Amino acid sequence: MTTVLRASHITRSFSGIRALSDVDLEVAAGERVGLIGPNGAGKTTLFNCILGVLRPDRGTVELDGRDVSDLPVHQRARLGIGRTFQRIELFSESTVREHLLIAERTRRGDGRLWKDLLGRGRPRTDEIDRCDEVLDLLGLGDLADEPIEHLSLGQGRLVEVGRALMTDPKLLLLDEPSSGLDHDETADLATTLRTVQDAQGIAILLVEHDVEFVAGFTERSYVLDFGQVIAQGPTAEMLASDAVREAYLGTLDVSS
Amino acid sequence: MALVLAASVGTDLLRALLQGTPPGTVYALIALGFVLTYKTSGVFNLALGAQAYISAAMYFQARNAWGWSTVPALVLSVFLLAPALGLALEHLVFRHLRTSTALAKLVVTIGLSVALPSLFELIVGFEPVAGTTPQGIVPGGATVFYDPFGVYAFSRNELTAVGVALLAVTLLVVLFRFTAIGLQMRAVVESPRLTELSGVNSDRVSAFAWALSSLFAGMAGVLIAPRFNTLAAPDFFNLVVIGIAAAAIGRLVSLPRALVGGLWLGIFIAVSQTFLPRWSDTLTWLQPIEKDLTTAMPFVVLFGVLVLWPAIRNTRAATDPLGGVDPPPPSLASDSRSPGLTLATRAFGVAFLTITGLVVFFRGDASWQFVVTQAVILSTIFLSITVITGLAGQISLCQGTFAAIGGFTVFQLADRFAVSVLLAALIGAAIAALIGAVLSLPVLRLGGIWVAIATLAFAYFFDSVMIKFSWVGGGESALLQGTRIPRPTLGPWDLSDDRAFLVLAVVVFAVVGLAVIQIRGGTVGQTLRALRGSEVAAESIGISAARARMAAFAVSAFIAGLGGALLSIQQRNVNYSSNFSPFAALFWLVLVVSLGARTVEGAGYAGASYTLFDAVILKGTFLGWILRSADHIPGFFPISAKWLFILFGLGTLQYARHPEGAVEYGKRRAGARVEALVTRLRRGPDPVEVALSTEESVR
Repeated sequence: MTTVLRASHITRSFSGIRALSDVDLEVAAGERVGLIGPNGAGKTTLFNCILGVLRPDRGTVELDGRDVSDLPVHQRARLGIGRTFQRIELFSESTVREHLLIAERTRRGDGRLWKDLLGRGRPRTDEIDRCDEVLDLLGLGDLADEPIEHLSLGQGRLVEVGRALMTDPKLLLLDEPSSGLDHDETADLATTLRTVQDAQGIAILLVEHDVEFVAGFTERSYVLDFGQVIAQGPTAEMLASDAVREAYLGTLDVSS
Repeated sequence: MALVLAASVGTDLLRALLQGTPPGTVYALIALGFVLTYKTSGVFNLALGAQAYISAAMYFQARNAWGWSTVPALVLSVFLLAPALGLALEHLVFRHLRTSTALAKLVVTIGLSVALPSLFELIVGFEPVAGTTPQGIVPGGATVFYDPFGVYAFSRNELTAVGVALLAVTLLVVLFRFTAIGLQMRAVVESPRLTELSGVNSDRVSAFAWALSSLFAGMAGVLIAPRFNTLAAPDFFNLVVIGIAAAAIGRLVSLPRALVGGLWLGIFIAVSQTFLPRWSDTLTWLQPIEKDLTTAMPFVVLFGVLVLWPAIRNTRAATDPLGGVDPPPPSLASDSRSPGLTLATRAFGVAFLTITGLVVFFRGDASWQFVVTQAVILSTIFLSITVITGLAGQISLCQGTFAAIGGFTVFQLADRFAVSVLLAALIGAAIAALIGAVLSLPVLRLGGIWVAIATLAFAYFFDSVMIKFSWVGGGESALLQGTRIPRPTLGPWDLSDDRAFLVLAVVVFAVVGLAVIQIRGGTVGQTLRALRGSEVAAESIGISAARARMAAFAVSAFIAGLGGALLSIQQRNVNYSSNFSPFAALFWLVLVVSLGARTVEGAGYAGASYTLFDAVILKGTFLGWILRSADHIPGFFPISAKWLFILFGLGTLQYARHPEGAVEYGKRRAGARVEALVTRLRRGPDPVEVALSTEESVR
């Protein structure tokens, strides 16, 4: 199996406090990987280093064997890193379909000012069809023309997923996708994500607090604590291990 | 010889130091006032200059017109009016905008700085008298001098300024260190939310900060007034820009550093005033601008600090640990509207333009043709604001400068190389676009309110330095003859005929308007809309914010340059100071934002309002047309032209909630009502609504 993402020796400090020290992480093509750990373990920092939002002090990020450590967010996105946000980030003035259309346009990269001026900038039917395909896959087909203020949080998160999918990502980073969702919505989300992944064969890296979600969705997990990977392996084993329990709950006798 | 020279340099330096201190302390006062409100309520208050102006004008009015003595006039203008104004602004305006974006708040302060001076002048009946220098607060302020060090003679006014500023700063230190409200203010600065959780009413603290800030501004206004020949609101707007430069040196959040920044700026200006003439002996290109470079120093400093020190923009966002719990900004109106409404708008627009055009073309006299043509050209210029503010969501305060670049290019090319003015207009637009693109490189990295401030600094830099170069503004010959521009001929049409020129202006407006509509619906428009919605999300799908905004900036500058060139051709003169000065361009933004920055139609209304509102509405002409006789116009006409500034300045208040503007908002509401009515007529009364209304009547 080919490695899609390889982050090596990622180290990052914030005003003297080490948020990450020497973290290695790999995701193979088509794999579902979890990233778990207690609050403040450095999960978000690692995420941001992979996305390019933050630059690590030391370490490299490789995508498909290519070093992307020096590239800004939008260039990494073009090379195949898609993402969703913990606090939902949608284009406040666009409809559901427009979210996907602009992603599709950006991926093609053929938007030019002079084309707009000649009236050739409007969405074409083949673009609309491609967007609607993805919307149907996500079960959002009926909402395509709705402005996003009419959506529920769960639907909004799916729009984020759909928008990311239109960029043809090799790797999808999901930042706490279950936050703000209730139990049933979370279950639905997991099902939909699985369908999407089966259809498109992308790799998924997931930061998540909902243990049940992680257990049901990911095959393999990394456990972060105090900025270091303290364990990695099959998710079920990880969640059962003493190291993880201790990191989450402190020493065992306190937790009971 | 060298020793003598060194000694003289030392003396000059000391003199410059002493000379720069009094204005420096006044800048410091402004900077302190600015930082106070920025820290406690997150409002980047450009209206502070208007507040300073109001106090200065009040003092002037009380002393000169009403014949009051110093103390009561001072108490009224500085200690009563200024804090009351600050409280009113906090209470009536900014308290309600607390969850709005920083940009929306900035737009409101820009509107206020246009509206407040006119409102004050109207209420108090104050008219600035040209050439009457305001007096200071001590007798003989400008005539009695003291020379403590034997190198520089301080006037009494200057010493008073220093003394008052020192006193104010001391009081501020005492307040912050030793009083409960000072402690609370410091806490609110750290985090308003955390402070509220510990039982402090942060609204009250914020109101206090506003009153204090306004007091400082008022004091600075009264102290600095004697330096001007005439009291005029634009001068005080410059003052606040200088204050911001001083505050920027203190990273906008540190009171002590803002104080030092103000002092340093005053001294820096004095030093450059002393030494620049010497350098210009050897550097001849400096000569035409040496006098103006000193006044431009603050803007250069401000621009430099903003561009070279990007860390400045993160100062506030990073401070509040509970910032995330703030409710999100109010959701904006959707950008889409029903196709029926769009069709109706376009039909109405075309019909209206055609009919008005024909009436003016065939029936209007020369002066009406001139004004209407001007309105059409200004509408074209305003389309540049539609692009940069409406589509790209950026506040640019240098659109007047881009327009001026277009105008001056036409003047230079026609004057020196006898290039056809229409070709020159296109070249001018292209140059403006190029400058816009280059400017966007450092500026757009900043984002948000900093784009507004950096473009403002650029506008002032152009205004005080660039314009003085003979290859821009025409130098001394232009001072004597004006910047003359001939009218062109286009094939068989002689455009020196005002009617033919009106047709040209309408055609250009139509073409540019169509282009804007195409861009809005095309890839660039969609990309900009995505960026406006969420920048992080847009970047996460591969959109380059810098590139998209650079395109918007260049297009916007192109349109402004083209419009500016046309306006100059129409007036046969660039008329820089009346058409394109930074303060005038500030009002452009206010107008367009008030009426509608998203639509071509909004730009049209704004252009019409700029030139015709006074002539048609306020003078009562329109009413006269309706009554079919000029004799029946009621006695309260003509209404003061100041209402133009007041109405549209206050119109920006709705920007936070309705960035689409008053026209679009009103139309959509009306459209929705019509739709509801139609459905009701078709279906009969809605059962739910009937149930609701009966329920209500039962109650």
